[in-house]
Amino acid sequence: MKTSNAKLIAALAILTAAASAQLAKPKPKVTFAPVSPVKITRGGTANVEFMFRVVPGYHVNSNKPNSELLIPTALHLDMPTDISMGKINYPPGKDQSFPFAPDEKLNVYTGDVSVSAMLSANKDITPGRYRVHGYLKYQACDDRACYPPTRLPIAFDVQVVKGGPKPVHRNPAQSPHVHS
Amino acid sequence: MNRNTTVLMVVIFVVAGMLLTGHFLSKRASVAPVGTALGAADPSGKLAPDFRLKSIDGKSYRLADLRGKAVLLNFWATWCPPCKIEIPWFVELQKQYASQGLVIVGVAMDDDADKQKVVADFANEMKIDYPVLLGNDEVADEYGGVDALPTTFFIGRDGKIVRRFMGLAAHSDFEDAIHAALREGQSTQAYTAPLENVQGK
Repeated sequence: MKTSNAKLIAALAILTAAASAQLAKPKPKVTFAPVSPVKITRGGTANVEFMFRVVPGYHVNSNKPNSELLIPTALHLDMPTDISMGKINYPPGKDQSFPFAPDEKLNVYTGDVSVSAMLSANKDITPGRYRVHGYLKYQACDDRACYPPTRLPIAFDVQVVKGGPKPVHRNPAQSPHVHS
Repeated sequence: MNRNTTVLMVVIFVVAGMLLTGHFLSKRASVAPVGTALGAADPSGKLAPDFRLKSIDGKSYRLADLRGKAVLLNFWATWCPPCKIEIPWFVELQKQYASQGLVIVGVAMDDDADKQKVVADFANEMKIDYPVLLGNDEVADEYGGVDALPTTFFIGRDGKIVRRFMGLAAHSDFEDAIHAALREGQSTQAYTAPLENVQGK
C-alpha cells in the first residue's frame, strides 16, 4: 500500500510540474490538426494536407506578404531519402488593415488555413513506414503588438506500399506540382 | 480514514491548489491589456538592467553611461508593423525633449544573419536619428523576455524604470511617460554625459 501511494504521489508531482511548465509558456498563436498517415505506392504520388488554425485575435503573414520586411508563413519539411516533395501550395492571404495602421493593407491568414503538398516516392524505395518531421514558421501579431517568429513543429507518417489494386479511374496525367 | 488516505487527500488538495493558482495567474497575464503598464509584473521602480550593445554603425553603447538622462528604451523589429507607427513619433519626441535631457534608444530585435544591414536600411528609410542598437536574447531576458513588440521602457535620470508599455501605445501616453521620466530622479545629476561611444572600453 505504501509503495503504491508513493508511486501515486510521484506521478502527481510529475503531473503538477508538467502542468506548471505548460502554464508558464507563452500560449501558441497557431495550432495544427494532426496529419493522417499518407499512403503512397512505390513510384507514385500522394497529396498531403496540413490544417493550421490561427488563434482568434491574432493574424499571421500570408506566404506572400505585401512587404519584403514581413516574415512569410512557410512550411519546411525534412523529407526522407527516396521521398520527395513538390511545390507547397499555400492559400492566398486576405488583404486586411489593422488599428495600428488603418491605411495600410497587410496580406494575412486568420482562422483555419490549409496548406498542401504533393509527395512522390521513388520506385526503388523500400516499402514501410517513414516519419517526416518539419515545422511551420510563422510570425503572429494582434491588433497592438507583434510576437517573435515561431517554429511550430509537425510530424506525420508516410506509408509506402508495393502497389495496390489498379485504380478504377485515372487521375490527370501529371500534376503540375510534381517534380520527380 | 487511515493515514495513507489522509496523505493522499492532502497531496491531491495541494496539487489542485497549485493548478488553480497557475491557471489563475496564466489567465490574468493573458488578459492584461497591451499598451498599459502591468500590475504585479510592472517593473516600475526597479533599476533598468545595464547592457552593452553594438549599434548599426558598429559603435558600442552602454546604458549605464546615460545615468543622469531620462531614457526612452524602445524594443522593436523591422518585421513589426505596429513598431513602424511609433518610430516617427520617437524621432519627433527626441527633437522636442532632447534639450530637457531625454535620450531615445532603439533596440532592434531582428534575428537575420545580416541584421546589421537590414536594420540599418530600415533605420535610414525611417529617418531614425537616435541610436539604434542590435538587440539579443540576453538583453531581452534581462528586460523580462520582451515577447511582444514594440515594448518601451521609460527610465528616469536615476536609472530606475518609470513605466513600461507593451504593444503600441498612444502618442499622449508616451508624452506623459516622458514627463514622468524627466521628473524622476531629477536630483540625480551626478553624471549627465550624453550617449557616449564607449567602443574599446
